[in-house]
Amino acid sequence: MTATIVAQQIINGVVLGSLYVLVALGLTLIYGVLVQINFAHADFVTLGAFAAYFFMHLLGGSYLASIAVALLVGALLGVAINLAIFAPLRHKGSELLPLIATIGVSTMMQNAMLAVFGPVPYAFETPYSQRVFRVAGTFFTEQSVIIVLVSIATIALLYAFMKFTFLGKALRAVAQDRETAGLMGINPNYLIMLTIVLSSALAGMAGAMLAPVLVLTPFAGTSVIVKAFAIVIIGGFGNVEGTILAGLLVGLIESFTTQYLDPGLIDIVVFGLLLLMLVFRPTGLISERREENV
Amino acid sequence: MSVLLAAENLELAYGELSVCRGISLEVNDGEIVALIGANGAGKSTTLRAIAGLLTPRGGAIRLRGEDITRLPSHERTMRGIALVPEGRRAFPFLTVRENLELGGFKNRGDGAKVKRMIEGIFDMFPRLRERASQNAGTLSGGEQQMLVLGRAMMSEPTLLCLDEPSLGLAPLVVRDIFRTIRTINEGGTAVLLVEQNARYALDTAHRGYVLQTGSILLTGTSAELGKDPRVHEAYLGRAATRAEAQ
Repeated sequence: MTATIVAQQIINGVVLGSLYVLVALGLTLIYGVLVQINFAHADFVTLGAFAAYFFMHLLGGSYLASIAVALLVGALLGVAINLAIFAPLRHKGSELLPLIATIGVSTMMQNAMLAVFGPVPYAFETPYSQRVFRVAGTFFTEQSVIIVLVSIATIALLYAFMKFTFLGKALRAVAQDRETAGLMGINPNYLIMLTIVLSSALAGMAGAMLAPVLVLTPFAGTSVIVKAFAIVIIGGFGNVEGTILAGLLVGLIESFTTQYLDPGLIDIVVFGLLLLMLVFRPTGLISERREENV
Repeated sequence: MSVLLAAENLELAYGELSVCRGISLEVNDGEIVALIGANGAGKSTTLRAIAGLLTPRGGAIRLRGEDITRLPSHERTMRGIALVPEGRRAFPFLTVRENLELGGFKNRGDGAKVKRMIEGIFDMFPRLRERASQNAGTLSGGEQQMLVLGRAMMSEPTLLCLDEPSLGLAPLVVRDIFRTIRTINEGGTAVLLVEQNARYALDTAHRGYVLQTGSILLTGTSAELGKDPRVHEAYLGRAATRAEAQ
């Protein structure tokens, strides 16, 4: 009996954690390469969710295709925010400027979505939410299988891209030393653009998968982003492996807190962990120690 | 001999702080040219301007007659200028092989060529082959210097700029590095060398420029500069003068 409950909560935690990882990865990638934070990331998640919703419910598209649409919408938002904010402000001197500008973008997007979509929550139904698997006393929906599989595939693709392609290696080089990357003949501006587009595409895609789980309103992304920030910090800012680990950890904490304590305590437990991390291990779960260049 | 690189009347500054005034220098095809001078004379700053890491406030830089003064560094690399920056700057969390691959970014469309060139670098520095899959950050200073030299050569430069290649290295390692620089030069690559160790620099270079507080004080062949009493006094030290007098 207890074993079943634990197994069930592990399943729930991994599903939730996969979604958090997708959202947090974008944040950590942008930080790793630009040392910047995109505060509109949450709203890219939200708009990705709405894009998927309208593609499915208005245009009659399939859910899986709507995930691709959300990914595309996210990518386009990435292009736009790079052209409008990150690229022009990069050479203006202060590193605070893009950060503040993205807060502005976030506010604008939230209010625009509020004006267009209204405050009433949308019910995002997918045919997969209804179909349930039962295995050894635990149960999970087809929707959660899709979430986990798509997340694993995305993370594997991203990892292969970073590890095995010329462009991925160039991206890591830009993250480590932008000036020297330029000396290799790499155009850092192009790779920064690529990073922002990738991150935003991840956000949009996460939106399409979160929407059936969350309440879809113009503020849907905001509820997730706070946890995503906590995950990025727990995982170590800019650290991809740490972020994946921390995302799953937070997902598990959330499901076990719901089961054994109280759902209302989730944020307290997560941010308690965040505080402990900041005090005892501020470099994150997996810390990259900078070696002396001698 | 034709002029490969010409810097004309460069004015260089970091923000409000003027570092170099009226720097003019030339590097011909196949030459090794040394820039020597005391700490803070503006040697590295001049090299950074040539590589495109610092935009000059005035003057012009030409590569085979083409004005490249405002070109970003990555486009200069594509045109054949490679810089090994001060402090080496290997990518610490990329492996030795990945560092070299990125040096060959120009040829990223031709994987077989990049592989072949990496083998060539490994033949030049067998130590790097042993450490191919190690992160560059775990290498010793001398190994890192070999790595960044190899990385720069991966872009097939016509002009190799080196900023203080001897800095922080043991004398034996320094000797190896300078021997390699000569070998690279014999292969047809022109070299512009910034070096605080004037003895090594003048032994390696064909010609040199002496910088003092942001201006060129002297220029000549290495032999001429080596004999100049001002160079002797300031950069080679009295001990060297005495040793040669004997």
